[in-house]
Amino acid sequence: MQLPWGRHFLLCRPEQFGVLYEINPWMHKEVTADPDVAWDQFHLLESNLKAAGATIAYQEPAAGLPDLVFTANAGIINGSQFIPSNFKHPERQGEKEKDVLWAKANGFSVDELDPSVNFEGAGDTLPFFPEGSQPVLIGGYRFRSDVVSHRSLSDLTGVPVKSVELTDERLYHLDLNFCPIDEKRALVAECGIDRYGLKVISSIVEEVFLLEEEEAISFCANSVVVGETIIMPACPPRVGRAIESWGLAVVVSPVSEFQKAGGGCRCLTLALDVDLHSVVS
Amino acid sequence: MPSETFELVGHVIDSLTLPKVLDLVVAAGADYKITEMEIGRTNVDPSKLKIEVSSDDIGTLANLCDLLHAQGANRIGDQDALLEQVVSDGVLPRAFYSTTNLETEVRVMGTWVRLKYPEMDCAIRVTFPGTGGIPEGADPKVEALPMHKARTGDWVVTGDSGVRVATPERDRRSSAFEFMASDASSEKPKSLIISRVAQRVREATPEGKVLAVCGPAVIHTGAGPYVAKLIRDGWVHALFAGNGFATHDIESNVLGTSLGVSLSGTEDSAVLGGHSNHLRVINVIRRHGSIARAVEAGYVRSGVMFECVQAGIPFVLGGSVRDDGPLPDVYTDTVKAQDAMREIVPEVKVALMLASTLHAIATGNMLAANVETFCVDINQAVVTKLADRGSHQALGIVTDVGLFAAELLSFLDDPAKSSTSPTSTPVAKGA
Repeated sequence: MQLPWGRHFLLCRPEQFGVLYEINPWMHKEVTADPDVAWDQFHLLESNLKAAGATIAYQEPAAGLPDLVFTANAGIINGSQFIPSNFKHPERQGEKEKDVLWAKANGFSVDELDPSVNFEGAGDTLPFFPEGSQPVLIGGYRFRSDVVSHRSLSDLTGVPVKSVELTDERLYHLDLNFCPIDEKRALVAECGIDRYGLKVISSIVEEVFLLEEEEAISFCANSVVVGETIIMPACPPRVGRAIESWGLAVVVSPVSEFQKAGGGCRCLTLALDVDLHSVVS
Repeated sequence: MPSETFELVGHVIDSLTLPKVLDLVVAAGADYKITEMEIGRTNVDPSKLKIEVSSDDIGTLANLCDLLHAQGANRIGDQDALLEQVVSDGVLPRAFYSTTNLETEVRVMGTWVRLKYPEMDCAIRVTFPGTGGIPEGADPKVEALPMHKARTGDWVVTGDSGVRVATPERDRRSSAFEFMASDASSEKPKSLIISRVAQRVREATPEGKVLAVCGPAVIHTGAGPYVAKLIRDGWVHALFAGNGFATHDIESNVLGTSLGVSLSGTEDSAVLGGHSNHLRVINVIRRHGSIARAVEAGYVRSGVMFECVQAGIPFVLGGSVRDDGPLPDVYTDTVKAQDAMREIVPEVKVALMLASTLHAIATGNMLAANVETFCVDINQAVVTKLADRGSHQALGIVTDVGLFAAELLSFLDDPAKSSTSPTSTPVAKGA
């Protein structure tokens, strides 16, 4: 069965995008992103999403907020509820105001976490809808989000949040380590999650495909699943074969310019159609 | 046994946070007891636990607090340090907290603040810059306070609560010094050890300072020229010594004797009338007014003190009751000498204690535990003494200081030599 979410996404055009500061191991101010190439890659991602059957909404770019393009970090969506991020780094904290404005203007009710707790939205929190049981949120913590955010998140959304500790700074968000494919399967970066976290995931996900370090570093877990299509920033051969054997079509949508800022396809999209109470309620 | 209680709330069972927390406790060598446990009925309900963690070592507990905090387990009953005001200059409150030379943090208004520079056997003063009393929202400063510096109205930490001390990083040092597992030994290959000292000196510069603490034996054994060259070549950046060291250094360079004994002679080396040589030298320097002025006037043209003046490196000469003269640069008020030394020690990364007992112990009392300290003496008891007074970081090298200084210099002169690990018997270059 296909994912019950991932048909409607929020994107932000890369008008203001650039590598202007360094807040993760991928960012180097001297390695600038080529704006023309970034635009081409963004347009390609848009058309790949549409071709797979998704619809797109847009957030307005804002000067001085180059990472606003990474809409996955804006917060999380649950039905009509929007829980905005509390960015860890001051460089990104200005994004919250824009995200909240957008959500309110688009009919979402905004529930905020305690501002002293770090939380980076869908970058660190992904839903999983296991076959025949209640949906859960899988929450990554350590580099960008605090584990204590998970308890409030569970209170606000009404679903359990399973905490997994991230261990590899290069894979600083959960969405670089974990990609739900459907109700049974997920890609999981073994090197980026500690042994307790891997156990937690395998207690929820029936079929875990463990990515090797090189595969994970290609950002292949930072992919967007739209129905029976998976849009990937890169597709290592072993991973591609597995995905195809599950009946999904692989579309590679290069985002090299955005990877210079530490983001892939998933980071550039926020799924707006996640409803954690849509299956069991 | 010291213990701390932590609270853990959330989906800690399904997320395996509880087993992870307990594993961390056990791995740190601490013990735990779950004192309260409330398991959520459904998988949405949070669970709530109280865990009492105990360990003999408060450093382990402090480290665990950080580790467990990252897993969402918060210490309960965390208390601010108790502060009491000094009511009389130079007198601390009765229950003042007495410091160690280990990294220390003090909890003030809910925040752990690091002690600026840990010094043993002091009190801890908390100040709130820019304000008169204990204000809301000020940025407190925490520093070691020697007893004599306490001033009426100062806020001083009393009791043990709200103070935590980090365990020294044993592992880091043991990896570099595995070959010298005991603190002092006369049965270790000197050349190998000295090559590692050279490596440390090299690593410490230029960000940190290398301090030499010298006893008069440095001059008597003929090591003076080597120490002078260490300064000239920029390897030593501060000097602590006494009246005797400076006097004999100048005597040897001006008159060629040390305590009246010729340093260049080959046979009967006692010089006629030499017993008063050092007094005459002191007298001349006193006439000039200071060592620096005697250097300027051309009276002192070489030696350790000469190089200090030439290179502009700070030196502190601490006096004692048996001093002759003394030299005009000597601090005759020992408390003032201590304070002058305190000005310099925070920048010191490596300390070389060369054939000095009293000044070495005085310096050891002021150094933070993370300062690499090498105590070179022909007498093993000196090294033991230093360690017994709390400078546990000191590594002893039992050898003649003249041989040591010559060997150290040769390693520093030739970088290729100190980066390899020589195993051959050290070659004495004469002393």
